[in-house]
Amino acid sequence: EAKSSAVSSSQILHADGGEMEPETMETKSLTDYVSKMHAGSVM
Amino acid sequence: MDAKGSMLNVRTEDQSFHIRYRMEASCLELALEGERLCKVGDYRAGVSFFEAAIQVGTEDLQVLSAIYSQLGNAYFHLHDYAKALEFHHHDLTLTRTIGDLMGEAKASGNLGNTLKVLGRFDEAVVCCQRHLDISGDIGDKVGQARALYNFGNVYHAKGKSICWSGAEPGDFPEEVMAALRQAAEYYEANLAIVKALGDRAAQGRTYGNLGNTQYLLGNFRNAVFSHEQRLLIAKEFGDRSAERRAYCNLGNAYIFLGEFEVAAEHYKRTLQLARQLKDRAVEAQACYSLGNTYTLLQDYERAIDYHLKHLIIAQDLNDRIGEGRACWSLGNAHTALGNHDQAMHFAEKHLEISKETGDRSGELTARM
Repeated sequence: EAKSSAVSSSQILHADGGEMEPETMETKSLTDYVSKMHAGSVM
Repeated sequence: MDAKGSMLNVRTEDQSFHIRYRMEASCLELALEGERLCKVGDYRAGVSFFEAAIQVGTEDLQVLSAIYSQLGNAYFHLHDYAKALEFHHHDLTLTRTIGDLMGEAKASGNLGNTLKVLGRFDEAVVCCQRHLDISGDIGDKVGQARALYNFGNVYHAKGKSICWSGAEPGDFPEEVMAALRQAAEYYEANLAIVKALGDRAAQGRTYGNLGNTQYLLGNFRNAVFSHEQRLLIAKEFGDRSAERRAYCNLGNAYIFLGEFEVAAEHYKRTLQLARQLKDRAVEAQACYSLGNTYTLLQDYERAIDYHLKHLIIAQDLNDRIGEGRACWSLGNAHTALGNHDQAMHFAEKHLEISKETGDRSGELTARM
């Protein structure tokens, strides 16, 4: 049996077992805050 | 107090109000510029503006909370997790002090994500739970869904952090499997909400991570289903990075299903997209996977072709470990074809690199 046929499945793969999706960070927008303040003062 | 004295007091108060007004405006202007810079991906410059805004100071605690939060996120994107932790913690303390529940939920979510990256899973779970509880209390469905997604990520990372080297997916210790099953449950709970909300982008992310979790659990058909969903949504959005990830993850799952031809087709799409995206490291990985897949198919000529492509990129990137792997694989493929001189050349190269990189198992394999 050739040595090359003994490639184990785990050697095929990314070391960490799959590529993850990015984290979703919560945002606090100052632009939105300023718009709301401005709308409030206009009203 | 005489008239002169009271006039002086009014003037001092006017001046003080004017200075405070200017400081507030200046702080806000600096912070808005920081926000703009972070939006275009220049986090380093964004941090400078936010830090300057803090130096000027503000009495508006909502503005201060937003600055802390965005600074934390900027440091997170810069991979400076200690700093990210510091600012998300400041934000949490502040929002709790002023009784801003929505703000506290968001700060908890960000803190949880940061603690997860730092491997502090138990603390991350507490933050995710707080995020989930507050979101539930205030009827914020989007917040609830995001907390569930973060929960899934924490348990997924916890499962992977436990030592499982050498084991194949689906064959990990019970502690790992339990964490992965929990991750899958949270992702499913998230999916129920984001589907009801019609949020396709969120569905895409969750399907991607659920696919990886099912894969590690050894449920390869389920993994394929999830990654197919992820792929569909990535195409809807024209998100080529997500598309590339999905193809690569699908290739991995098909390997374990023993469908090597199908796996090769998916890796080829990964390779195409990696080239379009000009991501050399991913291009190298795709070549390596293709080389190994053609080895499994016993098509050694093609395997050599892809391993050589991998070797060239690894050399360009000065990736000695990748180079070592390519040499090892090339040695094997040449052995299979009976090219003993070539096989010896690559085996010696592999041994040399293993010694240099301190890869003991690689060195032992090379000596065999």
